[in-house]
Amino acid sequence: MKESSLPFDHRADPELGAALRAALEPGDPAPFVARVLAQARLARARRHEVPTWDILARWARAGITAAAAAALVAGFAMGRAIQSRATPDDVMVASAGAGANALLSSPRAPDASVVFTSLVERDR
Amino acid sequence: MRTDPPPQLPGGVARIPQRDEAELAARARAGDRAAFGTLVERFAPQARRVARAVLQNPDDADDAAQDAFLSALVKLEQYDPRRPFGPWLMRIVANAATDRRRRRAVRQAEPLEPELAGGGSRPDLEAERRVLGERLRAALAQLPERRRLAVVLFDVEGYSHAELADILGIPEGTARSEVFHARRTLRSLLQDWKEEG
Repeated sequence: MKESSLPFDHRADPELGAALRAALEPGDPAPFVARVLAQARLARARRHEVPTWDILARWARAGITAAAAAALVAGFAMGRAIQSRATPDDVMVASAGAGANALLSSPRAPDASVVFTSLVERDR
Repeated sequence: MRTDPPPQLPGGVARIPQRDEAELAARARAGDRAAFGTLVERFAPQARRVARAVLQNPDDADDAAQDAFLSALVKLEQYDPRRPFGPWLMRIVANAATDRRRRRAVRQAEPLEPELAGGGSRPDLEAERRVLGERLRAALAQLPERRRLAVVLFDVEGYSHAELADILGIPEGTARSEVFHARRTLRSLLQDWKEEG
């Protein structure tokens, strides 16, 4: 053991080191190592284990997403349907044939043959 | 960071090559249990001694060392493989031990048995060692915690002043000073013990 030491002495003191090592020696390492590894396995298993509430929460999230997507699709389809619905003016323009004129200008209830004729004219 | 890497630790235990440590850490991070097991086996004695320097009680020290290994396993992605593994791990160990000491009421070092404290008869070598060990532990317990850690990390575990500074989060000059003051106290105790003999 060195009797004196400078503050900047960069060498370890072997005698003091050995005495301290003996004083702090923890004993057989095997049980400690086994304990740490067992705890590590447990911790890993706990990390991989998903709690029931998490599963339910995940389902709820998926359900909400699916409902939102369905609502979006339905809204889009309804919007398209409303946009594509023909107005009376469109019918008038499209049905410019004689059958249609007769149907709209007659004061009596339409005859089925007249309605059919106007439809056939429109489809031509 | 280390400027003067000692080839061996003071106790004659060879240092683990840094590349080996980095590889083991990378494998452990990827989930290789055997690699983590190897790291634990290699660093367990050192981690337990360092924890004991802070906590004195061996059971508490083992609990802290275990906490540190588990914490290191979780934090492995933060480890920089270009640097040595030991100082990184010892920083976690020192923090775990300090946290545990703060959480619990500090257990004072148990009083020495009268025949040990009084330098009584020393029937055999084993008893002599036991006496010295008790005295050193009691003397360590009187030192400020950082000083305790500094001398154990430097003189027992063989870390450099630069590594000490890194582990303890203090300037290198302060690390040197802590080692110096701790040594002065402990050497005087060792000297007294020798003279008694």
